[in-house]
Amino acid sequence: MSLLDFSSDAFLVAFFLYCFGFLFYAVAVAGRNWSNRKPEDHLRRWGRIAFIVSVLGFAAHLTFFITRWIGGGHIPTSNMYEFMMFLAMAIMFAFVVVYAIYRKPLLGMFTLPLTVIIVAYASVFPQEVQPLIPALNSYWLRIHVTTAALGEAFFAVGFAAGLMYLLRTVDFKKTDAQSRRDQRWVEFTLYVIVIIVAFIGTVFAFRGVDYKASFIQEIVSIDSKGIESTTTETVEYSMPPIFKPYNSQNIEVQSFLGMKEPLFETPSWMHGVNAARKLNTIVWSILTGSILYGILRLALRRRLGAAINPLMDGIDEEDLDEISYRAIAIGYPIFTLGALIFAMIWAYIAWSRFWGWDPKEVWALITWLYYTAYLHLRLSRGWHGKKSAWLAVIGFVVVMFTLIGVNLVLVGLHSYAGV
Amino acid sequence: MLSFQNTKCECGHQNPIGTVLCENCGKPLEEAEEAGKDTPLEMRYDGIARRSQKSNPGIIDRVWNFFSSVKIAVRLIVITLLAAIVGTIFTQENAFVSFDPSTYYEEKYGWIGKVYYELGLSNTYESWWFIGLLVMIGTSLVICSLDRVLPLYRALSKQQVRKHGEFLSRQKTVYTADIKGDEAAWIGGLAEQLKRKRYRVKTDGTALLAEKNRFSRWGPYINHIGLIIFLLAVLLRSIPGWSMDNYISVPEGEVVQIPDTSYYLKNEKFTVDYYTDEELPEGLKGTARAKLYETKAVLYECTANCDDPSVQPELEEVKRHNIIVNDPLSYKGLKAYQFGFDDTPRLKAVNPVLIDKESGKTYGPFELDMRNPKLIYTLGDYTLELRQKYMDFTLDSSGNPTTKSREPNAPAFIFLLKGADLPAEGVPYMYFPKQNDKERFSQDTINGETGKRFEIKVPSMEGVAFTGAITSLNVRTDYAMPYIWVGAGIFMFGVLIGTYWQHRRIWLRIDEGRLLLGAHTNKNNYGMRADVASALRGIGIDIEPKSLDNGGNKS
Repeated sequence: MSLLDFSSDAFLVAFFLYCFGFLFYAVAVAGRNWSNRKPEDHLRRWGRIAFIVSVLGFAAHLTFFITRWIGGGHIPTSNMYEFMMFLAMAIMFAFVVVYAIYRKPLLGMFTLPLTVIIVAYASVFPQEVQPLIPALNSYWLRIHVTTAALGEAFFAVGFAAGLMYLLRTVDFKKTDAQSRRDQRWVEFTLYVIVIIVAFIGTVFAFRGVDYKASFIQEIVSIDSKGIESTTTETVEYSMPPIFKPYNSQNIEVQSFLGMKEPLFETPSWMHGVNAARKLNTIVWSILTGSILYGILRLALRRRLGAAINPLMDGIDEEDLDEISYRAIAIGYPIFTLGALIFAMIWAYIAWSRFWGWDPKEVWALITWLYYTAYLHLRLSRGWHGKKSAWLAVIGFVVVMFTLIGVNLVLVGLHSYAGV
Repeated sequence: MLSFQNTKCECGHQNPIGTVLCENCGKPLEEAEEAGKDTPLEMRYDGIARRSQKSNPGIIDRVWNFFSSVKIAVRLIVITLLAAIVGTIFTQENAFVSFDPSTYYEEKYGWIGKVYYELGLSNTYESWWFIGLLVMIGTSLVICSLDRVLPLYRALSKQQVRKHGEFLSRQKTVYTADIKGDEAAWIGGLAEQLKRKRYRVKTDGTALLAEKNRFSRWGPYINHIGLIIFLLAVLLRSIPGWSMDNYISVPEGEVVQIPDTSYYLKNEKFTVDYYTDEELPEGLKGTARAKLYETKAVLYECTANCDDPSVQPELEEVKRHNIIVNDPLSYKGLKAYQFGFDDTPRLKAVNPVLIDKESGKTYGPFELDMRNPKLIYTLGDYTLELRQKYMDFTLDSSGNPTTKSREPNAPAFIFLLKGADLPAEGVPYMYFPKQNDKERFSQDTINGETGKRFEIKVPSMEGVAFTGAITSLNVRTDYAMPYIWVGAGIFMFGVLIGTYWQHRRIWLRIDEGRLLLGAHTNKNNYGMRADVASALRGIGIDIEPKSLDNGGNKS
């Protein structure tokens, strides 16, 4: 067995340990009122088991990382799969650090699923070890990417604690305008998380049945001299085409639940890279996500937030506020160092300028400005608690856009990290 | 009405206007207080009066007051953030080497692209308003810091040990108890515990002040200084002479002057390596994945004849370096980076002959170098005088010959052919060394009658030389870089001491057997409570840290 195969196995072990860790956290929290023990004892016991399992998962993840490094010959942070895997590992590390400070086991109940989702999302991308292109062949790849990811991991823990704070404090029984607005937004946040889970599920479901559809697309372009030229391109889908590419013919469309033909055509004004396939994937994710959300609602007979809220009883909300702030305050210097300063040093060595307003650079700056504003707002009255928790949640959306959105939506020099 | 405010505290201290907590004893000054009696105190900047809190603001004071507000600073940050987002919607102009922005955005993105371009958003980060925002943030950094740091420094360096009771009871971490036995001994015991936790302890009778990590309070000001240096360094770069940014293309084996300098660079060899199929994973096999771009470069400095184009300059080798991506050549602040390459073969020189088709005689061959041709070629009875050369021949929109680039992609030469049997002023003859150009631009038609009698052609591939690969290098100087790094370093240092350490203070006083303890930290009340609880545990008082929380736990 080669080192890289061993590495993949280690990852599988880590993945299952994380899932079990999450499960045990859920048992610790949900089970405390119907177990025979005193609730505090139950919580302590299962919280410890869950923490140990999570740390074992982290160890397996670390094994995956190190063996892949040795087997691949370079640090595995050079494409989207490897980066997301590293980010998930960094989140676990940040979780352990924050846990060591605050000893709040319940933080794991939200960090673990976040890690699982990110790891699963990483697996959507091609997983082969790719040899480095010259631009990445530098020891700064190790320094810049790892430090930036570690900073972002602390922001992720801040997000988890912020979300917990909201689920703990937003009262799902009240009906006044303010409470209803809070309830709606918390529910929306959960809905988005369900859609992301559904996206990953859908990708793997269709990959499992080996679904394929392909089209030949005619692209008409007008060059600078006004001459029209037509090129054709084959577009491959791995999900049944709800939307087919604009101006395209079917080559092969496997039937799915009696659906043999694409239902719609992508509008002509969407002409980014792979616009049609992305649109199709997004529509599928929203569709399956909404179905999944509907099933959950039916099973629970109430809103997801209202179902989670009682589980959070007895957790000190001010501790959550503090943990969220602290995690961000710890992450901020690391993020600044990794995503801006080390990035500038590397950019100066590799691209001859320390700053070039490349979209990825700008979004790193936006993330930094965002958390700078957050830290300044924390100085003033009235920006603690709920507002601060929302800022932590939105902040993580900004982080994720910087990491993934920029590569999917915008173009730029960091394109090697793309899909 | 601020001028009538009574700022004299009951302890007798005269405070400046705007003071929230008496500078001397810490008693809340009621007039300045907004919140109620039972809430924890507003301890920001230790309740000092900031410079901006003056009674009669003039114009300068008003500007100062505007920029000294943290709220304004946050707004500036948020506006800059939004502006930066807008700039990433469409690709910025500087991302392209050559294109026409006035039509590009509309063609690529439709009407919205046109609006984007016309609003100047395609150059967001160079726009006056974006730079204006950065300058305003810089101003805010300076003024916010100055407004607070000096009064705060004053307040922290002359602290009273015995504080007002209300000051203590309204801290966020509070502990009260009745003390039995010797008060001085009790305080001594606690002081010992606190010293063990690396607090600096001062006592004043039955009052105590323990403090640690005061330096962390300077973190924010230090990081602001770092940012200011950074921003100034960025501004410095726009001063002429502080930075240079040039691109040079150097064919293999040739020496090229770096524009605006006395340096010359030679490309001894350029290599590009691709990964072999064995090194590539399944999905990438068969694709050309670059492994290495390398220019073996030699840098020369001109020592004599530098400004006279008619004489060969004298060059002295100063540096030799194999430039690869991520490893530029660096010499006295000048850096040459691997930027790109072009390995399509181009003509370097040909050895054509002149044929007189009427007599069947050939003259020559002569060596015609593409880049540096001689001006006159004497070929037996005839001479060729070079009149014009085009490296990359094309016809412009009005039909006149012109050249698209300086690379010999489609070289063309116009000679004046002179000889005894030809008119004295000579006859023009146009020559395209490449066969496909000759046909494409119909050399024979251009040359007309002359072309029917004479022909310049290459008799064999012998003597046809091609240039090696061309490397393109980005040559830069950036004298502001050290200041950029120093600014960034100071910023990091400030942020680190400001976030990873926290200023913690514990005050206590015992009045007739009644202990009153208050503790304050600028960040991390959780850690503050743990410190107090652990010190109390050290002298036998077991207490849950959380129970020290005086409510309003806003870290």
